[in-house]
Parts: sequence; C-alpha cells; structure tokens
Amino acid sequence: MGSKRTRTEMEGQGQEKMERFTPMFEHFRAELDEHHDRRERITKASRDITAASKKIIFTLQRVRTLNQPLPLHVWKANKQYHDAIATQFFAISKDLQGLNAWRYNRQITGGCQEWMEAACFQHYLETATLISDEDAAQKLRELDAEGPGIRLSPEDWVLGVYDMTGELMRFAITAMATSGELPTITSPSSSSDAMDVDGGGGRQQRNVLIDMRGLRAALEGLDTGFGPFAKDASMKMRVMQTSVEKVEKALYGLIVRGAERPKGWMPEVEIGGGGRTVEVEG
Amino acid sequence: MAANGDGMIESGIFESLQRKIDDDSAVKDALRDIVQELEKQGKIRKEESILSRAHSTGSADLPSVVSSAQASIDKEIQTIHKLSETASKQPYYKFNYSWTRQIQDACSSILLCGWLGGFGKGETGQLLTIEDVGGIMGVPVNLKDRDAFHLTIEEYLQALISLLDELARLARNSVTLGDYRRPQLIAQFIKEVHAGFQILNLKNDTLRKRSDGVKYRVKEVEDVVYDLSLRGLLPKD
Repeated sequence: MGSKRTRTEMEGQGQEKMERFTPMFEHFRAELDEHHDRRERITKASRDITAASKKIIFTLQRVRTLNQPLPLHVWKANKQYHDAIATQFFAISKDLQGLNAWRYNRQITGGCQEWMEAACFQHYLETATLISDEDAAQKLRELDAEGPGIRLSPEDWVLGVYDMTGELMRFAITAMATSGELPTITSPSSSSDAMDVDGGGGRQQRNVLIDMRGLRAALEGLDTGFGPFAKDASMKMRVMQTSVEKVEKALYGLIVRGAERPKGWMPEVEIGGGGRTVEVEG
Repeated sequence: MAANGDGMIESGIFESLQRKIDDDSAVKDALRDIVQELEKQGKIRKEESILSRAHSTGSADLPSVVSSAQASIDKEIQTIHKLSETASKQPYYKFNYSWTRQIQDACSSILLCGWLGGFGKGETGQLLTIEDVGGIMGVPVNLKDRDAFHLTIEEYLQALISLLDELARLARNSVTLGDYRRPQLIAQFIKEVHAGFQILNLKNDTLRKRSDGVKYRVKEVEDVVYDLSLRGLLPKD
C-alpha cells in the first residue's frame, strides 16, 4: 500500500501530462461504443431477417399454383418466419431513424433485400404481378406498425427484384419437371378481355417465362448510373440473365425431348415465327 | 389491371424508379464537381504551402508559413461550405463516401496548421479539438439529432493519425534544421495522443488498422530523441 502511494506520487507529474487528451478520447469512446453496438445489433437482426426470408422462400417453392391464394399449409408453415422477421424489424427500427437510416444502410440492406425477394415472390405467386416499390415499402412499413418503421429504399427494391428472378427460375423449372409444362397465368379477372384478344389474333397465353423476359427487359433498360448501387446491380444482372436462359434451355429441352414423354405432347405445334411458347397441354 | 403488354409489370413502376435513380445521379454529379474542386485545392496546398514548407523552415520563420497555410485553407473552407450546402439537402450518409477522404485531408491540414501555432493557437504543440476544427470549417460536428452535413468523429480521428505521420517526419527534419527542441515536443505530443487511442475500443475497421500504426510513430520519434540525447544534443531547460 505504502509503496503504491509513493509510485503514484512519483509518476504524478508525468501521468498528468500523459492524460491531457483523456477526457476527449473518453468522449470519443462513448460515442464510438454506442455506434458499434448499434451497428452490431443491426447486423445481427439483418442476418436473422435474411435467414427467415430464405425459409419463407423455401416454403413458397413448394407451391404449384399461380395467380391464386396461397394454400393454407404454406401460410401456417411460414407464420413463424413472418413473426420472427417482424420481431427483428421491431427491435431495430428505432436504430434506423433519421441520420442513422443511411448510416447503417450497408448493415441492413442484406436483410431488406432478402425480405423484398420473399415478399416479391409471394406477391407474384398470389397475383402474377410484380409488387411496386411503393406497395413493398408500405408492406415493410406495416411490419412495425407501432414503431417508426423501416424504410425500403428503391435500391433494395430493385436488388430484391433481381434476386426474385432466381426464384422464378426455380419455380418454373420445378413445375416443368413435375408437370411437364411451364406454369401459365389463368386470370379469371381479365378473362373476357383476354378471350377477345386471343380470338382476335393468337395472343400467347402469359406464362412464367414471358414474365421473366419482361422483367429482364425492364431491368436491362434501367440506367443505374454510377456508385455502389450500380456495382451491385451489374453483378446481379449477370445472375438474372443466366436465370432467364436456364428456363429457356429447360423449355427447349422440354420441346425437343417432349416426344419421349407422351403426356400432352402435340407434335404439330409450330415453333418458328413469333410463337416462342408452346402449348403443351391438350 | 393496368399492364404494359405482358401484364406482369404495372406500367410506370420502372419509369418512376428511373426518375429516382436519375435524381440521385444528378446529386452525385453536383457533389463530384465540388469534391474535385476540394481535391485540387488540397493538392495546391500540399505543393505550395505548409505541408512541404514546414519541413524546411526553422521556428523563427514559421509564422509566415503558418499564415500562408491558413490563407490556403480558408479557400478550401469556402468549398467546404458549398459542399455542406449541397450535401445537406440529401441524407448525409447516403453520399458521404464521396467526400470523406477530402474532408479528412482538409481536417488534417487544419490540425497541422493549428499544431504549428496557427488558428490563434500562438504556440506550437497544441491540438485543435473536433469542435475547434468544426468551428474553423464552419460545419457542425458529430451530429446526432438532425440529418445534415457535419464532421464525424471517425474523420477527425483519421485526420489526427495523419497529423502524427506528418509530425514524425517533422521530428527528423527539425533536427536537420538544427532545431533539437522540437523533437522532444513532438515525442511528448505523440505519446499523449497514443495514450488517447489506447482508450478507444476500436473494431476491425480502417480506423483500427491505421491507429495500430501510431505506436510506430511513437517509436520513430523516440528514436530521434534518443539519438539526440546520446550525443548530448538535447537542450537543457
């Protein structure tokens, strides 16, 4: 005890000088700790949201219908994941307000994109349409109904749509493998309209591939400028194009080797000209 | 159902999105012009002003170097005001990647100038605080309650590390100029700042990587002081 005191006294002078900036750095430490803690919370939540969204997508990939309400078992299976996502968004929504909305964009963007992918895919299965960025943002906002909500940036929307084309590819290929045909859109709402057009001049029936091509054209037409978003988008562009081509190749295989599978195959079907899709049903 | 041709994509979705992206591109263009101006001014300052001249100027002539440095920094501050005005119309962190390097650079020049006795410090060896630098730049610091342009703690700390790099060099060059007192001043200063960095809990990021280098600056300057003391060249107070 005694020796300790002497040493402190001896070093007193030097110690005092060494601590000239201590209060300043202690202030910085408090600020940076707060920032790091917040960043870590958001990173973890984003990871959990991504994982739950992936599970939702797995379940959705077991759906075989298009433009119809989801089967009850799908709803039931996914409820826990939707709840988990809502819990995570609720936990971090207050961390992502004002200045911090963009500050932690890099941490949360992964979760938002994956959520968007799942929401977009589900919306497509149910309605055979692409969810708009405003509707998607509204949906995300509603997940944190009591809190301040989380913002879905247009960038996250686009990147989610890019990823969703991969799900459409899986959905289309699974359908072709199991039922031998590309999922088509039977829309009761606009049936009279469609019938007229069909009757008038051979308008093709909409199917998943036509929609994927539509998405591809829209995404390719988008000028993303420069910056981090443009980089992300151009990476996803290649993957998206490959997805479309995979379905096209699968459909080609279905047509060419279709003769080997008697179910519903019509050999007199015309492939040339504008007829890019083939009616494989009777 | 409003549909454009194939029926899946509601018309107008991608068009409105394109407009948003184009708006952002226009903002980025405007910011890039200002940041480039700042970059150019920074380069001029380095070539003509303190950063090079301080290394070859003895203490006696330092005030003239400092005042011309301050004049050059004042020009940069005009540009920073322009940047602040344009950037404050946007979410701060959406675009701050585009200017943070130049702002760090300007901040470290201000710190060096202040250390050399500029900005009313009068004597050498003083550290301008983040609030001082913000006051000189005319921008808020460490903003939390509103979304506008400001100087962040990370930027200040990065600039502080750059100052230490510069001071380590200045310690050697002071000896060349026959100033044997300044290395001791620098050694004390760097040790104090190093002690400060020890207080921080840094994560694995760029700040952590660069602050790990501070201890080498401490050693560099201590070596200079050791060389002087070994030869009995340290001034006796």
